[in-house]
Amino acid sequence: MKKKRIVAALLTVAMAATLLTGCGKSGNGGSGKVDENGVTTDNITLTYWHYEDETTVELMAEAFMKKYPNITVECKQIADMSTDLSAAAAAGTFPDVFSGTDSDTALANMYWADITEYVENDPDMDNMMVSIKNYGIGKFDTDHWYGLPTWYQPSAIFIDRNVIKKLNLEMPRTDWTWEEMIQLIKDATVDDRSGMKYYGLGFYNRLDSLYGIAACATAERAIKGEFGFDGNDFDLRYWAIGEQEFGDLQTGGYVAPKQDSQAMEDWSGDWGTWFGSTGHVAVFSEGFWSYQNIWATDGYQEQYGLDIVPYVTPNVVDEKDHNIIANMYIGGVSTSCEHPYEAYLLLKFMGIGTEGWKARLDIYEDESITNASGVALKHSNMPVPMTLDTEVWDRYKAMFPTDADHKPYWDDYFASITRPVPYGWYSIAGYWNFCDQYFNNIGIHELVDAGQAKAADYAAEATEQANYYHAEAMISYFGPDGYDVLSDEDLAKYQAVVDSFGQ
Amino acid sequence: MGYLFVLPWIIGTLIFVLIPLGQSFYYMWYNIRITPLGTKFNFVGTGNFTQIWLENPEFPQQLVTYIWQTIVEVPIIVVFALIIAIMLNGKIKAKAFFRLIFFLPVIIVSGPVMNMLVSEGASTIPAMNTQAVISALDAFLPTAVATSIGELFGNMIMILWYSGVQILIFLSALQKVDPSLYEAAKMDGGSAWECFWKITLPTIKNFILLNAVYTVIFLSSNEQNQLINMIKNAMFSGTKEKGYGYASAMAWMYSIVVTLIVLLFFLILGNKRDVYDRMVAKRKRMLKREARLAKRIERRGARNVRKLERARRSHKYKTYDGSGDY
Repeated sequence: MKKKRIVAALLTVAMAATLLTGCGKSGNGGSGKVDENGVTTDNITLTYWHYEDETTVELMAEAFMKKYPNITVECKQIADMSTDLSAAAAAGTFPDVFSGTDSDTALANMYWADITEYVENDPDMDNMMVSIKNYGIGKFDTDHWYGLPTWYQPSAIFIDRNVIKKLNLEMPRTDWTWEEMIQLIKDATVDDRSGMKYYGLGFYNRLDSLYGIAACATAERAIKGEFGFDGNDFDLRYWAIGEQEFGDLQTGGYVAPKQDSQAMEDWSGDWGTWFGSTGHVAVFSEGFWSYQNIWATDGYQEQYGLDIVPYVTPNVVDEKDHNIIANMYIGGVSTSCEHPYEAYLLLKFMGIGTEGWKARLDIYEDESITNASGVALKHSNMPVPMTLDTEVWDRYKAMFPTDADHKPYWDDYFASITRPVPYGWYSIAGYWNFCDQYFNNIGIHELVDAGQAKAADYAAEATEQANYYHAEAMISYFGPDGYDVLSDEDLAKYQAVVDSFGQ
Repeated sequence: MGYLFVLPWIIGTLIFVLIPLGQSFYYMWYNIRITPLGTKFNFVGTGNFTQIWLENPEFPQQLVTYIWQTIVEVPIIVVFALIIAIMLNGKIKAKAFFRLIFFLPVIIVSGPVMNMLVSEGASTIPAMNTQAVISALDAFLPTAVATSIGELFGNMIMILWYSGVQILIFLSALQKVDPSLYEAAKMDGGSAWECFWKITLPTIKNFILLNAVYTVIFLSSNEQNQLINMIKNAMFSGTKEKGYGYASAMAWMYSIVVTLIVLLFFLILGNKRDVYDRMVAKRKRMLKREARLAKRIERRGARNVRKLERARRSHKYKTYDGSGDY
């Protein structure tokens, strides 16, 4: 009986102790000494949270630690940004550097520290794609840098040359216009009732997303973000044209059915078919990753009779140099970081920096290195370099088709993607709130796609809403209750938008 | 020693229930931003509530859907569980195996597994034409009601999966029913149907309430519940308006609604006395009344005797013959 009591008491104490575990917080101090480059000589640990392939990032961290032996980097893949980060902030275990997909969350909670001093004095930044510095991707329309792009993949249009051949159509010129693309989609939609229908377009990215950037000449409006955003305000009239055009293509039967749908089963005979494997779709508005992750894998194109080449996302006007919409994770140094400069170096190494990209290419070029799924790392969401360094680009291009038949397409494509503009949720304050609380709730995509509404009817109200959310976010994030970096004039300007909303 | 054994539970309740409960009550009056440098509280009073009701159309919509679905689904789950429990309590072969089969979903389809199954369409019966059911019901029911019931058919598999624990509770209740009652009923010519209504159901009626309450709580807090997901998303949302304060306000309003639904089921299924109990009580009340009346008569008689005695002594009272003697 006594023995039982002792065991019970021990168990109870153990359980109570377990409940209280994890309430502590560890910290690391240091001597404060730095080397000739301003990097600490103390042994420190930096935590890096990210959205990338885990194996790639671990190897990148090893390369960073090789360069800075006194710095240990601990990496973690983020499952859900707002959940993981707010839990970490509450628990006092916030990462030193993190790369995120939703900038509103980071700005609203002041996750990112001001890194202007480091960015402005970094010679590496002079060799970046022009739109990054010109548009201040990571500045959020202030004079301060809070983040830098860490991962970039442009939008992409792909064409299946075999389908074009089968339909006796001409391949379009690589610097085509928006109108030419729409015409090709229509021409390539053929249903002769004798077999499986040919569709002009298969999409992952909606065309209206691409159109928002490509809608007009820079002289008309200097668009630098989704929904016609020019750095000051939105104009959804541009978006509405693209939305309507895409909706009309869908109702007109030019767009291939989506995977896992009855329409797909009716068309291909299999519910789970992906249109990209049918050999019956001419133009794809796909993620850039689809090429390396799927089409470029061993024997895939041969198996399905495909011949995929990339095309630049076209512009409405025939301008050779134009912006393209892109996925661009934004990373930053956290406000609680004790070693911000070292954290900045890590941020740059992992994302935008030339040196980091050289280390990255070493990893991608070695196809014997695979991730947990057994996939060579270049086939696991390999990003695109943001540096303009020639050596980096030569090595990068070598990982794509280099035969005389395909290389010209890839060269033209790569030449066209040096002016990326991120989707709104990466780079525009208040954009996510606007989508979450207004835009996504009106169900406009579904209504227009079904032919039940005209996008233009929503443009004026949506523009007013978008401007309101943006202005409100700017005041909240960068006004006196936030980072407090807005001038009185800017504050008054945004306040005027908020005040005039709904009147 | 007993207190030591329940100590982990007390600590758990204190840390994971009472303190968070108090905290959330405090939080709901504030806009809270959790930054890496600390938590910022901004008092907004009832601001979170007005924000939810005036600017979040999804919350009231989901709340109405939840109330309606819970009220409809709870009886279905409880009745289904009772039927299965009665069948499993009968004399059938491989009884233990069937019990295992019906309880298995409780273990397997918890949390993420359930989400995966639902996303794969495993919660519906493909052969069941939900639209046809809705059209049929629409003919004699309001559209909103018909649609909700129709959707219930589309979700039938999942509802049946939710019955595992209730089956177990009913089974234990059924096994507690005194077999001699059934024997006596059978001797008096009672059919199985009559035995069910006159013996089984009255005996396990408390467990029906227990299962109804359990089902309400389960439906209100599982991962398939849109309101729970909405609160969770609001809690971890990085947007300025949402966060812990906003989510706390939502959670408190939601918990009040859940409590009201539990109360509703308590009122419907709570312990009501049957005809026999009511007759006994009536008889008892009558006996009490009669006893009170008898006492009153007794007291009155004694009082009258005393009065007569006093009158006689003061010679104010005389007998008919004038002697004053009885």
